[in-house]
Amino acid sequence: MFHHTPLRLITLAALLIGLFAATLTAGYFGLEILAEIMVLAMLVIALDLVAGFGGMVSLAHGALLGFGAYAYAMMTGSLGWSAAPAMVAAILATGAVSWVVGAICAGSHGIYFIMVTLAFGQMAYSFAFESPYFGGDDGLGGITRPDLSAIGVDLNDSMSFALYALVCLIVAYLFAARVLQSGLGRALVGVRENEQRMRALGQITWRTKAHAFGLSGLITGLAGVVSAQHVMFISPGLMSWTVSGEALVVVILGGLGTLVGPIVGAVAFVLIKHEVSAITAYWHLVVGVILIAVVMSRANGIFGFVETQLAKRKKAPVPEAKPAPLPKGETRDA
Amino acid sequence: MTVFTKTAVATLVAGMATTAAAEEIKVGIALPYSGVYASLGNDIEAGFRLGIETFGAETQDTFSIVTEDTEAKPPVGLAKVRKLVLQDEADVIVGIVSSGVLGAIRDFVDGAEVPLIVANAGNDEATGEDCSAYITRLSFSNSQVNRPMGQYLYDQGVRKVFTLAPDYAAGQQQIGAFTAAFEAAGGEIVGQEFTPFQQTQDFGPYLTNARASGADAVYVFYAGGEAISFVKQYDSFGLKADLPLYGSGFLTSPLYVNAEGPAAEGVITSGFYVPTIDNPENASFVAAFQAANDRLPSEYAVAGYDAAHALVQASAGGANDRAALADALRNVSFAGPRGETSIDPATNNIVQPIYVYESVAAADGTGMTQKVVAQLDREQDPANGCTLAN
Amino acid sequence: MDIGFWLIQTLNALQLSMLLFLLSVGLTVIFGLMHFVNLAHGALYAFGAYVAATVSASLGYWPALVLAPIAVAAIGFVLYATLIRSMRKSGPMAQVLVTFGLIFALLDLTRILWGDLALGMQLPQLLSGRVTLGGLGYPVYRLFIIALGAAVFVTLALVLGRTQIGAMIRAGVDNDEMAACLGINVERLFFAVFCVGCALAGLAGVVAAPILSVTPDMGLQILIPTLIVIVIGGLGSLKGAITGSLIYGFVTTFGAVFLPGLASILIYALLALVLVVRPTGLFPARG
Repeated sequence: MFHHTPLRLITLAALLIGLFAATLTAGYFGLEILAEIMVLAMLVIALDLVAGFGGMVSLAHGALLGFGAYAYAMMTGSLGWSAAPAMVAAILATGAVSWVVGAICAGSHGIYFIMVTLAFGQMAYSFAFESPYFGGDDGLGGITRPDLSAIGVDLNDSMSFALYALVCLIVAYLFAARVLQSGLGRALVGVRENEQRMRALGQITWRTKAHAFGLSGLITGLAGVVSAQHVMFISPGLMSWTVSGEALVVVILGGLGTLVGPIVGAVAFVLIKHEVSAITAYWHLVVGVILIAVVMSRANGIFGFVETQLAKRKKAPVPEAKPAPLPKGETRDA
Repeated sequence: MTVFTKTAVATLVAGMATTAAAEEIKVGIALPYSGVYASLGNDIEAGFRLGIETFGAETQDTFSIVTEDTEAKPPVGLAKVRKLVLQDEADVIVGIVSSGVLGAIRDFVDGAEVPLIVANAGNDEATGEDCSAYITRLSFSNSQVNRPMGQYLYDQGVRKVFTLAPDYAAGQQQIGAFTAAFEAAGGEIVGQEFTPFQQTQDFGPYLTNARASGADAVYVFYAGGEAISFVKQYDSFGLKADLPLYGSGFLTSPLYVNAEGPAAEGVITSGFYVPTIDNPENASFVAAFQAANDRLPSEYAVAGYDAAHALVQASAGGANDRAALADALRNVSFAGPRGETSIDPATNNIVQPIYVYESVAAADGTGMTQKVVAQLDREQDPANGCTLAN
Repeated sequence: MDIGFWLIQTLNALQLSMLLFLLSVGLTVIFGLMHFVNLAHGALYAFGAYVAATVSASLGYWPALVLAPIAVAAIGFVLYATLIRSMRKSGPMAQVLVTFGLIFALLDLTRILWGDLALGMQLPQLLSGRVTLGGLGYPVYRLFIIALGAAVFVTLALVLGRTQIGAMIRAGVDNDEMAACLGINVERLFFAVFCVGCALAGLAGVVAAPILSVTPDMGLQILIPTLIVIVIGGLGSLKGAITGSLIYGFVTTFGAVFLPGLASILIYALLALVLVVRPTGLFPARG
């Protein structure tokens, strides 16, 4: 069950205020990085929904992000729609596709689940890569940002865009929190804990998983649209499995199953990446070592670690960040 | 006025408008330094720095360089170029290996009115329908390198060709240019296959298809790791005796021909540069590059070198801010390691001779080298949708 | 197209299958026995290729064939002692992430040690010729790969099926706790199996280096085909590894012959199909 503990609320507030302040004060490159952080945070919140709370480790989310971006680009480009309906349509489309993927993959568990999501992701990637209609591997440019001149905002200005991305992030977070606090959210956690028992209780678990995937897909679609609007260019690289891999890295770095962790992770990851790559061309090595260290420390990422430490001090239980230990003989998915 | 005051005034003015005093031109280099294309990025930068060193004296202006890693990914490339332009206030951007990154930054560079010297990315549209007054290309275009081979192969007596290339935009453009020219010359394409880009380990099935097609020769485009695999596998099947292998120069680039080793012997390719081109500018370039970097220059290095030369020439003509540099770069022309090198202002693409060369074993046993068998006329791209001339 | 053409294409398919088999068998046995997903297997293969290229430049092919697998097994030794042993009981996600981090780290380590330029490796004199089959020449080296893969398969099948060690391994795959109760030193068994798996990855690297290119990203490129092979075949079993390899090899090769445009999507579609119909692959070790 997902709760808004005082720690989570404080961290969330601090993060959002921090991001807001950074947006107001940052230079051009800083604003680029901020927009990048916010898109990544949205993607990782979506991933946390299915992986952290649903126990389904998905390597398809990168492709779903790309799908949202491509859908938006196609609708505004080839179909000539204006930004607002295109955004809505792209987000809904991504949600629908995600639902289908979730439904198909619902029968797989553990490493097989990871692999089948990878398969779908790579199929989408290959398809986007090959077809000239979607610009092929050279990509498509000329994507426009929404026209908010009616409320006096010009999204072509970097600061306004960063603020817009921040608003989208807040929307994504609230949506995810709402989902998790609903009946579906609780059922999802139940399925993660023990699918067989949930089925015994009458829950149609594949539907739960599919719904969760679909809702996660809506958030991913939003992230994809904002990403397309940010770079104003799409290319198949958005769909590569390494994007999904990076998202997983971020969610682990931040803290799985906490919903606030992803935002922490996104900030940390992007900052680390940029700082390190300014120093050396071998930043993959540094990121790899940090990742190994974080995973091996058994802490649930930065935020998860803080949460657990605080809980130990207070001797209070941590609200469902990690699955409870299993009774003997039963297996775990993730 | 005292010397001190004069200098102070000059420095003050230097930041604002063009003057006759020496300026510092800030160069933003955007290249991949990590990932698959890191070796290309490093070579281009090495060539560029050597060029600044060699020609820098021809202008009063000095150059300061800031480098950023594009990772050959469009979003990252765009963010870094925006940083170079908006935050570092670069006067000119140099680099770009990946055509995807070029596509991503094109609108930004054009809108921000910053000159960009492309030192590799070869997609035809960049100097065709997507051309810009601010983007000049000192490297090559995909069709430019392959077009002349159509007539050349026909002149060698080849009538039927089987083509192979990786299935992505550059592959299609390169082979497309060749097939159009070859068919126009009167030849016949008996088979054309595209292999999954960067996912093909085994070219055996395609080579077997080629052998069964009844072609006189095989023409391909591959670059990097795929080129190495392809050439080695072609050799292992013993096809070269009956089915000679031709292609564009990236197949046997000096950067990795030694990894191909004797398998590359006898392969004839067309390119805009090899270290064995016989002219005085190339001789001094090769000697200087080898001394500084302990290896022979590749076509990537020479693109960086010529980009530096072009920039110096533009600044020597009096240009030292963005607008003036952009204009001046469109009209550069010099004798360089490749021969007569210039920019065609109608497309902003380079005009350069194309060399047909055969890879052979070096006499002193140090590996592979290139024997130039023909120097073709300077190759100029058609407008292709670019409206700069108007 | 004549019989020679089909014969050659079949051999091409077999050769690709055998190369993938060498890679996948190590990975699948490690998973079957230790339930450990080692995504860094591709990076180990790349490492083997690099070591082989360096060794063969001074000593020739055959010493490289022996030394590279040993070198990679040594790396495996170190990795097991430091990382793998403690991660063994964690869930798949933690393992995926740790080995993902390992991929990153090993990738840059390779770049630091050997630079960014591609390396080449020459075929040994003995194996660089061609045989004429059905009127067409076919490289002897590819036949060598097929033979080597078959030999490894037979050896492993014999070891697993007919020796005591093999019985212990199979017992460990079935139920490691029970096997430990029966007095089998399961920890040491896992250690040994892991090192052998790494050695096989190194062997695949040596074998592939002369016909492919030795570049920093070769590990990443071979990773997805390897994962596809073991997932289609079924994790943990030798039969699964050979089946998966053959399916991948033949689908990819004949896909290239008949449907060149669709070749890349075809194999992923097949993977998705298999996983939907048989969620644990065709011949998994544990049903």
